[in-house]
Amino acid sequence: MLTVILQQGINGIVMGGLYVLVALGLTLIYGVLVQINFAHADIVTLGAFAAYFIAQLLSGNYFLGIAVAILVGGVLGWLINAAIFTPLREQRSELLPLIATIGVSIMLQNAMLLLFGPIPYAFNTPYSSRVIHIGSLFFTLQNLLIILVSTATIALLYAFMKFTFLGKALRAVSQDRDTAALMGINPNSLIMLTFIIASALAGMSGALLGPVLVLTPFAGTSVIVKAFAIVIIGGFGNVEGTIIAGLIVGLIESYTTQFLDPGWIDIAVFALLLIMLAVRPTGLIAEKRAENV
Amino acid sequence: MKTSLRIPLLVTSLTGCVLAISSVSSPAADNLIKIGALLPSSGPGSYFGVQDKQGVELALDQLKSGVNGYKFDVHYEDSACSPLPATQAAKRLLDQYQPDVVIGEECSDATLAVMPLMDRAKIPLLNAGSSSIKITDPGNPYTFRIMPNEVMQGVDLAINAYKRLNAKTAVLLHENTNAGIGNAKVFAETFEKLGGKILEDIGFGRDVNDFTAIATRIAGLGNIDVIPTYTLEGQGLKITEALTQAGIVKGGGGKAIQLGAIWLPFGFEQKAGKAAIGYIRIVQFDPTEQRPVVRDFIKDFKAKFNTDPTHLNAHAYDQIMLIADVVKRGAKDAQSIRDGLSATKDYPGVTGSVQFDKSNQNIKMDTVHYMETKPDLSWESLKWN
Repeated sequence: MLTVILQQGINGIVMGGLYVLVALGLTLIYGVLVQINFAHADIVTLGAFAAYFIAQLLSGNYFLGIAVAILVGGVLGWLINAAIFTPLREQRSELLPLIATIGVSIMLQNAMLLLFGPIPYAFNTPYSSRVIHIGSLFFTLQNLLIILVSTATIALLYAFMKFTFLGKALRAVSQDRDTAALMGINPNSLIMLTFIIASALAGMSGALLGPVLVLTPFAGTSVIVKAFAIVIIGGFGNVEGTIIAGLIVGLIESYTTQFLDPGWIDIAVFALLLIMLAVRPTGLIAEKRAENV
Repeated sequence: MKTSLRIPLLVTSLTGCVLAISSVSSPAADNLIKIGALLPSSGPGSYFGVQDKQGVELALDQLKSGVNGYKFDVHYEDSACSPLPATQAAKRLLDQYQPDVVIGEECSDATLAVMPLMDRAKIPLLNAGSSSIKITDPGNPYTFRIMPNEVMQGVDLAINAYKRLNAKTAVLLHENTNAGIGNAKVFAETFEKLGGKILEDIGFGRDVNDFTAIATRIAGLGNIDVIPTYTLEGQGLKITEALTQAGIVKGGGGKAIQLGAIWLPFGFEQKAGKAAIGYIRIVQFDPTEQRPVVRDFIKDFKAKFNTDPTHLNAHAYDQIMLIADVVKRGAKDAQSIRDGLSATKDYPGVTGSVQFDKSNQNIKMDTVHYMETKPDLSWESLKWN
């Protein structure tokens, strides 16, 4: 039984790591803009397809595929912010950008459907079929890669936010945009930077998720609901909270599968979400921002 | 002429004109069999729709010159393999296109949702891809199914697993849908009746992506002989990969044999790779069959699409050709197509023969073909039926 518990722990951390990568982008954008980007899921999917085509068809180099996915995500983030959020921000409406991102999401899904077709792709990397056995425990090299890349990305992002001037400026904008502007910070540039970083993260998570997900034009949609739940459980806009919540959700999934039934996964995750909303609506770690003061 | 007379005369003339125009156009409409197609072209089941359309197109090509003076027209609606969009698509189809007959859907939940609409409109629905028993039992007078239902597949699969494969233990894996639950239930009932033991019955939603946790759970269950799996292609791939990584099935060095019903498209083995080795599954169309209708279909399909046909291509082709056969036997509208379908006897389709029972279920077991995936990922036809 101990082996099974440990094995499900590994499974949960792998899935949790992937959820964290997807959710981090959402929480970064929310933290700075207090807006939800529904097209985030489709950037994840596009990242997965970019990595697939580079890795499977062109070069066979998965790492080059991940790099291209990051690039594709970053460019899309820049485009979405420039085309939607920047013009709509001036109207000071919370609803318009939200609806616009739903529109972008539907547009991207259908564009991918036309380009890539509806038939699921088998995204196999040189690492996804190589199984490592340690005693009775097993995991694929792809799982190990997911854990390593997730950990490195989270650490880099954390260091960027805590120790660099740009990171501190981002946090200042997320806490109080007007005061940050008075201090000489250009909020618009930082919002653009946030979008690019968040979307590049989405692209990268797509590249890592591709071999795990059922890769179709709707692939990102299947993880985005969990990512939203993680953002809420972790505390809107809070990076540390998102990381903890992502890992909790991953572990809930694997242990629910083991001890209850996979059919209970969503019930368990969303029950936690409801409990958090009722007991601690600010999430695991509350983010300081102007309207909370 | 008095004004009071002019208006009725004008109305009468206009009505006459409209009637004259409609009488001129009616022979064309009367000589057209309108086939509505409720096929998924979005969502996780959209691969069904893409492949079905190819089968339909090939059939329409071959029917270009018409049958008994009737031409065939097909109008597609995206039913998305899901009850709500399927219902909306069916309403659009009935209201706007007004078909004589409808083919589809692929997913049982979607088919079950549209059946009452077709029954009310008295339009025959010819199904080739949904396995839930509820579609024909109790069913309705206007719904026909050419594919073997979940009972025909499940009972046969369980008997073969127990008697031919010597399986004594099984773990059931299925999506939590009418078809998934129904298929698994039928297998379990038959297998247990024969003396087999179901170690675990694991259902999951269509949003589950990673099956490593499920494979871990299965790995802890001990000696497993067979794993009947009922899911769509995308999840099917991930399940097979996870079972292989956990060393449970033959492809991963284990001894369990994964069993499948008519859910997965052709080409699954190539996508799953080594993980698919030893997988035994029922397919609706045996490309190794030597019947002329099968050989001709494969030749024509390759010529048109430059690829080998799948069972989805084949069953969509069969649907249209069966309708054409009914028209050849004298059907010309919805009611006579329904009656013609009902009277079908030993129709030689590509997927097998067709003859409906009182509940409009095809009773022919030659539509159940067993295949085993060999180490080079080719198929061996097991000829169990």
